[in-house]
Amino acid sequence: MRIMAACARLGHEFICVYTGPDAASGHVRMAAELAGAGCLARIRSYQDPSELFAVADALGADAVHPGYGFFAEDFRFARRVRLRDRPLTFIGPSWNVIRDLGDKINTKRIARSLGVPTIPGSDRPIFDEMEAAELARTIFAFQLEQGIAEGCVLVKASAGGGGMGIEEVYDLDAFRSAYRRVRNYARRNLSDEGVLIEQRVFDFNHLEVQIAAERGGKNAVHFGTRNCSVQSLGRQKRIEAAPGFDPGSIDYAFDAASVLADITRHSVNMALAVGYDNVGTWEWIVTPRGEPFLMEVNTRIQVENGVSAAISRINGADGVNLIAEQIRLGLGEPLGYTQDDISFHGAAIEYRILAEDPQNRFTPGLGRITRFSWRAEPWLSVSTQVPTVLSGEPYDIPMDFDPNLALAIIRGDDLPQARARGEAFLDGLDLAGVDASGGPLCTNVAFLRARTQTLLRF
Amino acid sequence: MDIDKRTRQLSARLAYIRDIFGPRENASSALLTHRLEEFLNRAPELGVLDLRREVDRLEELFALLEGKLEDELTPMDRVRIVRHPQRITLKDILENVYDNYAEIGGQDEWSVDPGMLIARATIARRMGRKTVHQPVMVIGQEKGHGQEFRNGGSIKPFGNANALYYMRVAETENIPIHTYVFTPGAYPIEDYPGAAQQIARNLFQMAGLKVPVVSVISEGGSGGAEAIALADKRLMLSHGYYSVISPEGAAAIEAGLKKKADRRLIERCAERLKITAKDNLALGLVDRVIQEPALGARPDNYEFFRTLRREVIRATDEVVHAAQGLGPLRALVLRHRGGVDPQDIFVRWSLSSSAREALLIRRREKFRAMSAHAFVDNRSLGTRLAVGLARGLWQVHSLLRHDIFARYKRRLSGRIEQWEAELRALGLGMGSLLGRENGGACHGVPPEALSRLTTLSCPEEGVCRVEDRWVYVSPKSREDRTVTCPNAATHGCQDLWAPDLYGEFAGVCAHCGHHFPMEYQWYLYNVFDFAHAYEFNAELEAGNPLGYEGFDLKLAEAKRATGLGSSCITFETRMEGVAVVVAVLVAPFRGGTVGAAEGEKLIRAIERARIKRLPFFMYSHGTAGIRIQEGTCGVIQMPRVTMAVRRYIDSGGLYLVIYDTNSYAGPVASFLGCSPYQFAVRSSNIGFAGPGVIRQTTGLEVPPGYHRAFLALSRGHIQGIWDRRDLKKNLHQALLTMGGRNLYYR
Amino acid sequence: MLNVKEMLEELKTSPYEEIEIVTPHTGEVHFVGLKAGDRVAGPGGKWGEKPGSTLATITREKNKKNICATQKGMVTDIVEDLEGKFVEAGVRLLTVRHFLSKDEVIARILKKALSLFCAPERAKYYFVPEVDGKIKAGGEQSVKTRDGMEMFIVSRMKRETPLSYSGPEGIIYAVYFQQGDNVDAGQPLIGVCQESQLTLIQDVVNRVQGEWEELD
Repeated sequence: MRIMAACARLGHEFICVYTGPDAASGHVRMAAELAGAGCLARIRSYQDPSELFAVADALGADAVHPGYGFFAEDFRFARRVRLRDRPLTFIGPSWNVIRDLGDKINTKRIARSLGVPTIPGSDRPIFDEMEAAELARTIFAFQLEQGIAEGCVLVKASAGGGGMGIEEVYDLDAFRSAYRRVRNYARRNLSDEGVLIEQRVFDFNHLEVQIAAERGGKNAVHFGTRNCSVQSLGRQKRIEAAPGFDPGSIDYAFDAASVLADITRHSVNMALAVGYDNVGTWEWIVTPRGEPFLMEVNTRIQVENGVSAAISRINGADGVNLIAEQIRLGLGEPLGYTQDDISFHGAAIEYRILAEDPQNRFTPGLGRITRFSWRAEPWLSVSTQVPTVLSGEPYDIPMDFDPNLALAIIRGDDLPQARARGEAFLDGLDLAGVDASGGPLCTNVAFLRARTQTLLRF
Repeated sequence: MDIDKRTRQLSARLAYIRDIFGPRENASSALLTHRLEEFLNRAPELGVLDLRREVDRLEELFALLEGKLEDELTPMDRVRIVRHPQRITLKDILENVYDNYAEIGGQDEWSVDPGMLIARATIARRMGRKTVHQPVMVIGQEKGHGQEFRNGGSIKPFGNANALYYMRVAETENIPIHTYVFTPGAYPIEDYPGAAQQIARNLFQMAGLKVPVVSVISEGGSGGAEAIALADKRLMLSHGYYSVISPEGAAAIEAGLKKKADRRLIERCAERLKITAKDNLALGLVDRVIQEPALGARPDNYEFFRTLRREVIRATDEVVHAAQGLGPLRALVLRHRGGVDPQDIFVRWSLSSSAREALLIRRREKFRAMSAHAFVDNRSLGTRLAVGLARGLWQVHSLLRHDIFARYKRRLSGRIEQWEAELRALGLGMGSLLGRENGGACHGVPPEALSRLTTLSCPEEGVCRVEDRWVYVSPKSREDRTVTCPNAATHGCQDLWAPDLYGEFAGVCAHCGHHFPMEYQWYLYNVFDFAHAYEFNAELEAGNPLGYEGFDLKLAEAKRATGLGSSCITFETRMEGVAVVVAVLVAPFRGGTVGAAEGEKLIRAIERARIKRLPFFMYSHGTAGIRIQEGTCGVIQMPRVTMAVRRYIDSGGLYLVIYDTNSYAGPVASFLGCSPYQFAVRSSNIGFAGPGVIRQTTGLEVPPGYHRAFLALSRGHIQGIWDRRDLKKNLHQALLTMGGRNLYYR
Repeated sequence: MLNVKEMLEELKTSPYEEIEIVTPHTGEVHFVGLKAGDRVAGPGGKWGEKPGSTLATITREKNKKNICATQKGMVTDIVEDLEGKFVEAGVRLLTVRHFLSKDEVIARILKKALSLFCAPERAKYYFVPEVDGKIKAGGEQSVKTRDGMEMFIVSRMKRETPLSYSGPEGIIYAVYFQQGDNVDAGQPLIGVCQESQLTLIQDVVNRVQGEWEELD
């Protein structure tokens, strides 16, 4: 929706694709309102790239916006966009940049070659048991020296992902058997015996740096940091706040301002070094002792971009729209401003309101929304696809996607004010529904409310 | 009464003549028909003496005209003779040629495979006044004069397995084996372990069978025949045929599979395929032809059975003689056998152990020399000499390096190892005696080790790991289009973009893992590092040994289109530092069919691997079988190459076969299928005959996916299924873990 | 208890079902010259390995695919306007009128006669491996049901929970869902036949075999 809004704002025409079950959902209605029914195309599946290209060719599109998921980080999709007989413009970084930064090991190696701090451990797949054991031993000793009493080493399959083929090891004796288990798993299931060894970091804060760079990769700026440490079990973000730390209102055990400065500097340097050429996010973890480690790079615009935009000003003007920036940059327009032109003001909090049960492993809730409204405030912006808000009609939560209900961004002059407003918003929210068994629908509002006070803390 | 019987016989003879010559109009048979009818009409009026005279006359006329018709026989007529229900069968031979016999493992339809008949038989020979009963194992197909349950002599895999089992029994008992080939071809169902696989096993075992084997071919239909026909002496009945494919099958291929081939084309194909005994004798593929009576032997031609008996005894004697030598007098008599019945001279048929080895060597040489002129050799005289010389030198080199030098080295290093181990034990014991502390050594990590944790390791490798880049990228990846995976309906695969699919994905569906066929070059360059390989024998090119009409043109076209001289590429390359000999069967060259040139190239490659003690990989990019236009020159490659493989494996090598796309028929049923290490690339098909042929020959419908690699795996035909992208790694793994004792890098 | 005759009469008034053929995905559609009233064949061969008659082709990204008939029947209505045009996914191309066969009629009547076990909520359903194995090995009717027997796995929002069968004892006579497809709440999953009903069911089968005329 925000992508369409940004297109409309920039004066571009667009085509919106949808699948059968989505015909009634908010974004299809909005597209029809903004651009007319002629710009809607029903396709088989969002995951089938051929469908997008067929529609793009049939309706004569010039550029493709890959959205937030599926294709945004798929370098093959970006490559196909460029290398087809009828090439399109890809609203995102070049495909080779996506490929290099899409691989965590590559990212780590690039970072290390530039002196960007990364998690201690191997930066290439290890095939030799002796070498792996030696590394693990060094990591344990390193943690001991750092004063970490309960050291922990992660052994993971280099070709793995999604939590499979990962083991935590707490002492050296257990390492060998864990290594063999992971290696055998990798050999069997991934047909790649490579294994990564790295330190397991506990109790960290998850920070992100928002980067924007123009095509050609010559100029890059950042739009500040945000803190995404409030997450559900599956490491899904629930609250994001900007800026990443707030030394003004919270005491840290380390120099938070210089950490923020470090990670933004490193991120921008790295973006320039790899020739990054669109918006993207550099994800960091910061330990309780204030060490930042680069985790990975998201080569796409993320849902939480709004929280960074909310505290940023270009040449003193509010209303930064990062999606609009992304489209502009994707079409090859220059940045038109430098880092000095960007200033930051106040604090912002973004809540993701979902139908889920935080008490019960964040089990998604199914059911029907019967009431959903809130009091409008100048510091509040909420986006939702639930039509109940406008029409008051009950709405059945679709099954096949995450039960996202709304995204709320709260602005404040400083963090305490933003926090207070956020709590007020959540308290005043009128959200009710019934679940499949007839009981009240579970949402995560209480969970969000409880976590607001501890934002940006360790 | 007597007259009645004789007239009935005469009409039977006439009916037989009509059957043989089919619908063709024929003056002789018309004359006979007329005269017989005339006689039958007049018969009631004639007296006994007249009748007898008339019948005598008629019989004379029949004999005369049958002799005349004999000269008019076309190859297709001979096929009809062989298939005629009145044709002699193995049972007739057992009754009339052998003195005593007992059938083993079968009473009519109660048998593992009623088409395969196994019997222990004896031949009585005189030794002065004494009679010696010499035992033999008789194995062959029984057509049973048209008995339905015998499947016309088409043998299922378990029938062939049973035959093989009793060949091993004969080997244990040290008695000769007589095989009688009466088969139109193997029954193409893929029961355990697969039709092709069982024939391959038979061939492999027969290649090393240490007893004399004599085979007699009446109807030799391709692979089914080879399953029992690899012999020291191959005799052929004069009216039999020995062929790569039935004339109907050849005609169907010629005409294009969809259309029905007409009779004339079938006749022409029968002629072109050179399937008769005379042709095969001329090609050197059989040793002798046994003359049958005019128009083929029938069960009442007792004189013929006497000839047959003499011939098999003589053949067995010769084999035994060649292997272990006889007394000088008997040898002389054997050589000039004028007038002497071979069964009057006694030859002991059980071989001594040294003779058994000699037997194998002679068998090997015999098959090695076959079809030597059936291919085009473009090498200059100099090259040939150089190759011969190099071969000799390598032989000496291998002997020195691997047998003599290596033995001392092994002994020496064994000693050193022992001393070292002793010393270590000593040190360890001392250490613990002195109470030296070993624990707690991991404190105090040196700073350079710490810096390894946080700085870039191995900067020389470059910052980014580049995705596996294929050296050779398929031209199919240059087209901007999408391709649908055949499993899309069942697995929900999305359409794949051709540049992704044929480029980065190496032709593998990203969702279900289906393997699309790739060019053989993809394997040559991405798996076997062909760019740095040494190709040899490229000058040996496929020829047209039978002068098959129109084939020269097709062959030239294939050579032009592929730039290859034959469907086989042999080369020596290195895989992860280990030198290997690789042979590739290339599908685009006439369907990857194997003929004399391919067989010769394979044998030479195998010999090279054996002499240099290299592993030998055989990659079948796809093969449709034996090249039918080369007829029996092609079929004979099955035993020929299998013999070479057997020798290679016995000498301790590593022979590994990889199947891709579609591999069928002869090659799979012989030198490919006999490997103990056979692997398939995913989504390949392996089998004996395709579904269409199965339907035609057996009337059975086979389920879709009948020849899939996974089914071949569960049948026990192949040993594993590999992903194309992992081929190189798996082959390296095979080099490390599989194979015999005599590989140079061991 | 069950008026088989009445149901048969009811089915006889409209002895067919209409199958809408829709585009599986976007692309350019070409018809193959079929007209309304033409007969088409369903998938054939001993294992159903031969696809049904081609009804139209759809080309997307230079990849031409056939759209085949899923059942035999008669073409009733072709959207000729779409010839050569780019269409979206899920657009109706034509309708095939499929006349019910005896087996299908039996299945329809039995659906009313059997005791049905329905889906409690909209989700994807699977049999537990044990039951699945039995069905694959010996057919549906090899599974005996008991009250409280663990029979299904319910997959919803990528989370899987077991579901027990509740209802009368008997054997599974028919399965009404595709494993892995979404089933709406209240839709029948399986039809269970009690021992006492066996004669009734035999009766239905006999009557249909005798009375139903297959139209083609």
